[in-house]
Amino acid sequence: MTESMHEFFLRVKALFHKRRMDRDMTDELEFHQAMLQSKLLKQGRSQADADSATRRAFGDPSRWHERLRELWQFRSLENLGRDVSFSLRVLRKSPGFTAVALITLALGVGANTTVFSMINGLLLRPLPVPESDRLAVMGIDMGRPDINYSFSEPLFRGLEHRQEVFSDVFAFDHTTLQVRANSGNENESGQFVSGEFFGALKTAPLLGRALTPEDDRKGGDPTGFGVVISESFWQRWFNRAPNVIGQKLQIDNTAFTVVGVMPKAFIGADPLQRPDLFIPLATEPALNGLRSMTTVGVHAWWLTVMGRLQPGATIEQANAQVGSASNAVIHQVPSDTRWMAQMEKGHSHFVAENGAAGFTYVRLLFRKPLAAVFAMCAGILLLACLNLASLLMARGAARQNELATRLALGATRRRLVQQLLVESLLVSLMGTASGLAIAPLVSRSLAAILLGGQFEMHVDTSLDIRVFAFAAIAAIVATLIVGLVPALQATSGRLNDHIKGGQHTTQAHERRSMLPRIMMAGEVGLALLLVVGAGLLASSLVRLYTSGAGFDPNGIQNISFSMDKEPLKGEALMQFYRQLGDGLRRQPTVTSVSFARIIPFTHFLWDEDLSAAGKSQDTYHNSVGPNYFHTMSIPILAGRDFSWSDTPSTGLKILLNQTAAKLLFPDRSPIGQTVTKRSDDKAVNYEVVGIVGDAKYEDLRSPAPPTAYVAMSQDEDELGSSYNAVVRVSGPAGPLAEAARSLAKKLDSGIPAPLTTSMSATVDDSLSTERLMAMLSVFFAACALIVTAVGLYGTLAYATARRTSEIGIRMALGARRGQVVAMVFLQNASVALAGTAAGLIAALLASRALASFLYGTSARDPWVFAGSILMLALIASAASLLPALRSARINPMTAIRCE
Amino acid sequence: MPETGELIQGTLEMLILKALQRGPLHGYSVAEWIQETSQQMLRVEEGALYPALHRMELRGLVKSKWGTSDNNRRAKFYTLTPEGQKRLDAESQRWARLSSAVAFVMQAT
Repeated sequence: MTESMHEFFLRVKALFHKRRMDRDMTDELEFHQAMLQSKLLKQGRSQADADSATRRAFGDPSRWHERLRELWQFRSLENLGRDVSFSLRVLRKSPGFTAVALITLALGVGANTTVFSMINGLLLRPLPVPESDRLAVMGIDMGRPDINYSFSEPLFRGLEHRQEVFSDVFAFDHTTLQVRANSGNENESGQFVSGEFFGALKTAPLLGRALTPEDDRKGGDPTGFGVVISESFWQRWFNRAPNVIGQKLQIDNTAFTVVGVMPKAFIGADPLQRPDLFIPLATEPALNGLRSMTTVGVHAWWLTVMGRLQPGATIEQANAQVGSASNAVIHQVPSDTRWMAQMEKGHSHFVAENGAAGFTYVRLLFRKPLAAVFAMCAGILLLACLNLASLLMARGAARQNELATRLALGATRRRLVQQLLVESLLVSLMGTASGLAIAPLVSRSLAAILLGGQFEMHVDTSLDIRVFAFAAIAAIVATLIVGLVPALQATSGRLNDHIKGGQHTTQAHERRSMLPRIMMAGEVGLALLLVVGAGLLASSLVRLYTSGAGFDPNGIQNISFSMDKEPLKGEALMQFYRQLGDGLRRQPTVTSVSFARIIPFTHFLWDEDLSAAGKSQDTYHNSVGPNYFHTMSIPILAGRDFSWSDTPSTGLKILLNQTAAKLLFPDRSPIGQTVTKRSDDKAVNYEVVGIVGDAKYEDLRSPAPPTAYVAMSQDEDELGSSYNAVVRVSGPAGPLAEAARSLAKKLDSGIPAPLTTSMSATVDDSLSTERLMAMLSVFFAACALIVTAVGLYGTLAYATARRTSEIGIRMALGARRGQVVAMVFLQNASVALAGTAAGLIAALLASRALASFLYGTSARDPWVFAGSILMLALIASAASLLPALRSARINPMTAIRCE
Repeated sequence: MPETGELIQGTLEMLILKALQRGPLHGYSVAEWIQETSQQMLRVEEGALYPALHRMELRGLVKSKWGTSDNNRRAKFYTLTPEGQKRLDAESQRWARLSSAVAFVMQAT
């Protein structure tokens, strides 16, 4: 122990006195030589004799020196430095190889880090609140395959105060609020939060106080409702005025008092939301009026419920406790028999899960696609590593003479392996670094595509400790795979033979070249797997787009008006929309205008039970204005369209789509017949006046459901008074949004600025997952093809270069050029064939995992499989043909002479 | 290093320590002393002597100091440290045991 300490200090000292140490060593040896000489002279030997005797005893002084100096050095450290500079020189000497290596690795590591940081932002990153690991998310197991994470208000209130294991239980939901400004209402993002929300999240407000259970009571406190605002809202609306506490805000036409400001870091418990206003859950009935979810009671599933564990309680205890409390809570809430039957059928019970990362429903949507994309990424990284390893191996084979020479000169095998490892470490470090550099940029755009229409969401994909740890592990694994195999390979066996034999030791290297060929075959197989996956996802996406929506989305612009908070009703409301419609139609490029309550593919659903002649059918509903079908290019197959003269007093009219007409009236024409809408205990009769073509409703994946259309001019405003203008334009839609804004303002200054989106963007957004997966998989597949082509080309080119003289001899002995080309080409063809076979089997087994993402496409679609194999074959042939053709140009004479 | 290096190296270090027990010496005198004392039977190769001396210095068994030799030249003198003395004692005991053991075996009939 002390000896090694002593050694360490002396070596450190030696590091700083290098020059003096060198001089001392020289002096010491010269002194010895001088003494030896004078002794020999004294013994009567001649000067020349003494000189040569001394030289014999000492040998080469510089080697001496080297040996002594090495004693005083930190050997591993200085060797490392030498290895690094040597490796850099080697890499710089072959820029092509280095570039390929860097790009492949950057791609592999970059892709993985990107997708991992998405997964991290969506699933793993803990909420930025103190002790987030003590939070739990609650759900209801209703005996269905998936746990339901939405609660109704009565159910939550039943749970709120049963808290043996929880110190706080809270609920929240995201909403858009209209805040009154001088210039009119503005939409702001907000959250309804229950009383213990802030207590559970344990974040101190920047100013004022947080909301408490006192605020979350019907009627609020005597001074009215309290609202807590975010720091950014404080900045935007109050310019950070310190006297903001106590200020009044008109939110959804209700007076609120600002009681506190939360710091910027606080985002609530949904990691994807950035709410600006937190208002008590108890104000929901007052704000939403007729559309209140609280009033609907047990049938409205809308709240996310979370809790903070008591100190010492575990999540397992919490789960057990809420589970056993389920029955009591379920039976205690005010409900009806239908609900109770539904709950009892599935033996419904509450569950509690770890909620450190908060909760967002988006997670449930994207968990599977992200896992699939992650698997693709891992495939690409593995492919990159395999490719690099086989390239390095091929290079190692080409460098065998160099390595053998170095071994002969006294380098140990360990030193050589170390140097080769340093070489691959450098490559993978640089590759990883560039991958990491591009990752945040790419993941931001990925998040943008994935969240598509949900423009109010934010995925925090910034790099954190988990992403770095992941990238580091990816880099280390890559380095080890890439570096160790070829390093061991290149230095194994009797390298001495290589110096002696040069290029002729075919026997030995034939066997050794099996490993790179197996790796290349694996790479080909992996590439095929990725290409097949991409082919399946892409053809599914194309089928989705060409499947037809039943209407023509191109050229349609939707303008949504938030009218629910306006006092307009009935005839006056219709008058407003008619004026709006007339104004829009006067815009230059507009060819047709109508209105609809629900825009297809926006995840809004409205269904009712319709019955006719004893048949009852659950039917999707929409409420539309006159001219809707013409505007959307949905054909009217029989009967007539609605008109503004269809008013509540002229008898209720309804239009059915083909599917609904066939289901309700299988044997006769529905025109003029009566259908009955039943809800709870009411029955309303409608006269069918027309049949229209089928149009898809929820998304492109699902076939057009049975749908009924009612006239907006006869709608009872039960679902609010907000409609979307549906506008068909020919040419650019640019000025339309501005025109809509000024029109709305002119008609009623209280309406918040309407939002304009194009129908094709809505279609794209509704397919965001499919688009993302298809785009990524096609990108990965293209990369895989390129990487594989480079690998096949590179390994074959190296292998052929080593056989130059052999080929020369063959040609000198009469082999024709065609034979040589075939010989070299077949070397790769067998590899590609074996890889394709393996990849085909793997693809057949693995493609089933994609089945749930595919639309109208079999997971074993023969065209996709055939196309993928063909494409791979073409690329592999091209990559193999180049070296083969080059080998045919070998001049036998120069090839043999160059030995 | 050849396989037998350990023994030779260990023995050489013991001999060097023994030589230095009499007082500070430079490398040349160490080699000369061993050669003379062993009746010219042991010759210390220069190629082994200096690495051994430097290694022992690194481990703290000897100390070095630059001084002037008999013929007025700058020379590096090595001195035994207390550690070195301890090592020498241990090594001599080990050597005595080993050589007598070998002698017993070789004298057996």
